[in-house]
Amino acid sequence: MSILLVEDDQDLATGLLEALRKEGLSINHVGTAKAALHVIGTETPEIVILDLGLPDKDGLDVLRQLRRQHRDLPVLVLTARDSLGDKVAGLDSGADDYLAKPFEMAELLARLRVLGRRMGTSSSNVISVGAVNLDTTSQTVTVNGEPADLPRREYMLLKVLMENAGRVQTRDSLENKLYSWGEEVASNALEVHIHHLRKKLGSDFIATVRGVGYTVKEA
Amino acid sequence: MSSIRRFLVVVLLATITLINFLTALHGYRTSMAKAEQLFDAQLADIADVLALTAGGLESSPAVLATVMGDGPGIAFQVWHHGELLSSAGVAPENLAEPVAPLVVGYADVNFAGYRWRAFSRYVPDTERWLIVAERADVRFNLAESVILESILPIILGLPLAGLLIWIIVGRGLRPLKDLAGEMGNKRSDDLSPVADFEPPQELAVLINSINDLLRRLEASFEREKRFAADAAHELRTPISVLKVQLHNLLRDADEGMVALRPLKAAVERMEHSVEQVLMLYRTTPEQFAANFTDLDLAGVARQVIAALYPQLEAKQQQIELVADRSPMRGDAFALRTLLTNLIENASKYSGSGCEIRVTIKHKGNEVELTVEDNGPGIPADQRDKVFERFYRLGSDRQDPGIVGSGIGLAIVRHLVDIHGASISLGESSFPTGLAVTVRFPAASSANSGRSAA
Repeated sequence: MSILLVEDDQDLATGLLEALRKEGLSINHVGTAKAALHVIGTETPEIVILDLGLPDKDGLDVLRQLRRQHRDLPVLVLTARDSLGDKVAGLDSGADDYLAKPFEMAELLARLRVLGRRMGTSSSNVISVGAVNLDTTSQTVTVNGEPADLPRREYMLLKVLMENAGRVQTRDSLENKLYSWGEEVASNALEVHIHHLRKKLGSDFIATVRGVGYTVKEA
Repeated sequence: MSSIRRFLVVVLLATITLINFLTALHGYRTSMAKAEQLFDAQLADIADVLALTAGGLESSPAVLATVMGDGPGIAFQVWHHGELLSSAGVAPENLAEPVAPLVVGYADVNFAGYRWRAFSRYVPDTERWLIVAERADVRFNLAESVILESILPIILGLPLAGLLIWIIVGRGLRPLKDLAGEMGNKRSDDLSPVADFEPPQELAVLINSINDLLRRLEASFEREKRFAADAAHELRTPISVLKVQLHNLLRDADEGMVALRPLKAAVERMEHSVEQVLMLYRTTPEQFAANFTDLDLAGVARQVIAALYPQLEAKQQQIELVADRSPMRGDAFALRTLLTNLIENASKYSGSGCEIRVTIKHKGNEVELTVEDNGPGIPADQRDKVFERFYRLGSDRQDPGIVGSGIGLAIVRHLVDIHGASISLGESSFPTGLAVTVRFPAASSANSGRSAA
C-alpha cells in the first residue's frame, strides 16, 4: 500500500515515516501543498495523509483541488484543529477520515487499514482477531479455519467490530449502520444479530459494555 | 422604574401650568387696572353727555335715564348752589346732600349700602355740579367676567397640552426605544455593530460608544480564540512528535528500557493537561450558551465511554452505563469533556481492577448524572475539603496550583456552571467508593425556564 504523507513538521514526518515503514507500508513525504499536488498528479498514491496546517496553502483547499481529479483517492486528514466546525468542514471537503493531533499510532494504523481495505488494494484483505478471520474480498468468515455462514447484516456488523478491534462501538452507531444498510430496525434487532454472531463465533468473542455497546477485544 | 417619558410629561406640564398661572395672574391684575381706567373714562363721558344736555335735565329724568342706560349700577345728581335739581338711582334718604364731594375728579364713596365710584364735574355755564356714580361691585363683576372668559381657555387647554406632550415626547424618544429593541434582539454571541437605523445626533454618540465597546469585545474574544487555536497547534504538534517517536522506541525496545514506560506516562499526562487548558480557554460561557443544542445525555455518555474504553481496559477496570433517554439542552463538546473528566477521575483514584458505574436518570424536570466507583472513596468529613478546593480552583484561574491534577475539577466546575447544573459528592452505591452527582435541568424545564426569564 503506497501512502503519501503531506506534513510540514519535519520532526513529526520523520517519526511517522519510520513508524509506518516498520509496519511494512511504502510511504513518501512532502512538506508543501505544491509538492503534494505535483506528486499526486504524477505518481498517484493509494492513500494520502494530509496535514491541514501547510505553509503555502490551506489543507482544505488542497483537499478540494485533489478531489477534482481524484474522486476516489482516500484521504485521511490530520490536524491540530479540533472543533466540531473544523471536523465538518474537513469531511465536507471530501476527507474520508479525520484524526486530531495528538493521536495514537495504533489509531492511525487502524484507520489506514480500514481505508486500505475499502479500496481493496490492501496487501491484506483479511482481518484476523483471535481464531476469527474475516476476508473483505470474498466477504467470508472462518472460525478456527472452519467457514462460518453469516447473513449479510451479521457479516457487516462483524466487519465493523473487527475493523475496530479493541475499541467500543456504541449501540447508537451500530444501529445507525443497520439503518443505513436498509434494515427495518426493530428495537432489539442489534441484540438479536449479536446473539446469532455469538452462537457462531463463541460467546466470548464479542464483549458487551453494559449500556454502551459492543467490542471485539484485540487478540 | 423611572421613565424619561413620564418625567418629561410631568415636568413640562408643571412648567406650563406654572407659567400660565403667573401670566394669568399678571394679566388679571393689569386687565383689572385697565378696566378701571375704561370704566372711569366711561363715567367721565356720561358726565360730559349730562353737561351738554343739562339744560332740560331737571324736567325730564326719564330722558336722562335713557341716555345713561338703565343699569341698576348708575346714579347721578345735579346740584345748583346747594340745591338738588335732579337725581336718579339715588335712594331718597341720600338726597339731602351731594353723594360725592363737590370737587372736580374721581372719588370712592359709600351710599345706599354700596361702594360707588363717583365722578364730579362743574359746569361753569349753568353753574351746576354733576355727580355721576357707578357701583363698584357691578364694575368689578363685569370686568372680572370679561377677564375670566379670556383666562379660562388656558386652563381648559392644559389636559390637551398634556396629551400632546405625551405623544410628542413618545415620538422624540422613539430612536431610543428602537435602539433598545435592537440591542435586546441581539444574540449573546452577536458582536456586530449596531447600524440598522439612522440615529439622531444625541444618540449617535451613545451608539458610537456601544459599537466601539462591541468592537473591542469582539477583538478580545477573537484574540482569546486565536490564542487557543495557535496554542493548540503549537502544543499538539510537538506532543504528536513525542508520541510517534515513543511509539517507535517502544516497538524496538527490549525489556531493559524500563525508563520508557514513565516517559510514556508523562507524555500522556502532558497531553491531557494541554487539552484541559485549551478546553478552559477555548470559549466563554456566553458563546457556549449560544451553541447549546437539544441532545440526549445518554448518547453522549455512550460515546465518551466508548472512547475511554481502551484505557479502562488497560487497567482491567469494568465500566457500565445505566441510562434513561435524557433529553436536555447543552453543548455536546463540553458535556463530553465533563463526562471524560469525571470518568477519568474515577479511574485514576480507584485503582486497577475497580468497577465504575455511570447512571443517567431522567427525573421530572432534572437529568441526574452519577459517576461512582468501588475504589477507596473519600471519607465524608474530607469530602467538603475536596469540594472547597474544587470551588476555589474554579473561581481563581490564577491559582498556580491549577496546572496540576486539580485542573480537571476546575473544568468540571466551569462546565457544570455553564449548563446551569449543580454538583455534589456522596457515597457510592458500591460497598466503598465515591459518587459524583451532577443535576442538569431537563429539556422541558430548561425551555420553560428560558421563556419565563
